[in-house]
Amino acid sequence: MNNLTFLKELEELSGENISSCYQCYRCTVGCPVVTQMDIYPHRIIRYIVLGEREKVLRAKSIWTCLQCITCSVRCPNDIDIAHVFDTVRKMAIKEQKAAEQDTWTFDKAFLESVERHGRLHEIEAILRYKVEKKNFFEDAKMGIGMFLKGRMGILPHNVKDRKQLKEIFKKCGQ
Amino acid sequence: MAALTYYPGCSLKTSSKFYETSIKQVFSSYGIEIKELPDWSCCGASAAHTVDDRLAHALVARNLALTEARDHHFFAPCSACYIRSKVTNERMRQDKEFRKDINNVISPLKCLGTGEVKNIIEVLHDHVGIELIARGLRHDLSALKVVPYYGCVLTRVMGMEAFDDKENPTSMDSLLWALGVELISWPYKMECCGASKTLTNKDVTYTLSGKIMDRAVLLGADTIVTPCPLCQLNLDLLPYLGRTEKALPILFLSEVFELALFGRLTGSNSHVIAVDEIIKKVKEID
Repeated sequence: MNNLTFLKELEELSGENISSCYQCYRCTVGCPVVTQMDIYPHRIIRYIVLGEREKVLRAKSIWTCLQCITCSVRCPNDIDIAHVFDTVRKMAIKEQKAAEQDTWTFDKAFLESVERHGRLHEIEAILRYKVEKKNFFEDAKMGIGMFLKGRMGILPHNVKDRKQLKEIFKKCGQ
Repeated sequence: MAALTYYPGCSLKTSSKFYETSIKQVFSSYGIEIKELPDWSCCGASAAHTVDDRLAHALVARNLALTEARDHHFFAPCSACYIRSKVTNERMRQDKEFRKDINNVISPLKCLGTGEVKNIIEVLHDHVGIELIARGLRHDLSALKVVPYYGCVLTRVMGMEAFDDKENPTSMDSLLWALGVELISWPYKMECCGASKTLTNKDVTYTLSGKIMDRAVLLGADTIVTPCPLCQLNLDLLPYLGRTEKALPILFLSEVFELALFGRLTGSNSHVIAVDEIIKKVKEID
């Protein structure tokens, strides 16, 4: 009998009935980015059931996922696979095992901007991400193009009650 | 005259400002009044739920609570805002423990989940209807070949009913049909455009959006029509992502209404891929 701790832990955290998977592959077949995954979605689910903690937490696939929810909608056992992936992401970050940092770095930059202004200040979030990545010029042409089309604002949009927003972030441990 | 609380979300104030302008013109011509939610904040989009689930729900609940204090219509044109709001609203209404916890986070505000979250397709169906739309046409769009592109998240919700089919939605098709365009049926209605990967891994967006564009070109369409600001942006940015092959302009759903009602596009200069050819195909009704 394999170790069920990992499965139980993830089922608890995600609220999903992961063990009901019968490996029909529908998630994998419908995934738009499956060709870029190191471990296919149905296998991630299987590895979770088998207790392969390290393999799952260090998988690139969980970061390749676009959260388009196609797999979840198609699952005959109603497992919200995208949500399972999302839960694994948090665990991988917590245990410092994430195979890729970019998505997380960008999401954090995005949220910091929201915490500061209440609304996303696109250019600030993007620049902060670029600073983290030490990569300024890669998308400069695209950014300038967007600016010229009036599609990239310079000034932030601030909400009035920023104090309450900060409070929300604080209460959620951010 | 219907009045709705309008939640623009960050996109409609920055990268897709012309979508807001377009919606306002079209809605006002149908007698729908939209009032922007005062002091609204970001819904957290795809970032918040990846970092922290409670934060994701709390950010949305704040806006829902502000809306509930005014009326019960919450109109969110952006697909990400819409789906995040819809999911949280449903849980706030049904799950008592969850409601208590989230309300504690957003206190002194209070959200009960009693509002009704709607996207642009639903508003046009519910508050105008295809009969009125078809009767009110002022320009002939029959020369315009259109592929309807819903984007990946609009109807994909787990554990609850969606407003349309989760695999093959048709609600936008019927609106476009009422506008008199030539609709082309295709299998890419809900394929993902690459979403927020444009910044972190742009090859993904280049490949996915490129595939959608290739198919639309192959089918002989003049334009791809979408209600989602991120889909519009990603597809419109294809020339910057390295695409050298033919690329069709991507119109917002409300822009097709603009063409049918006024025969012009207010936001034509905001499109990266030129829309001139589209406007040329609009004819006067004689």
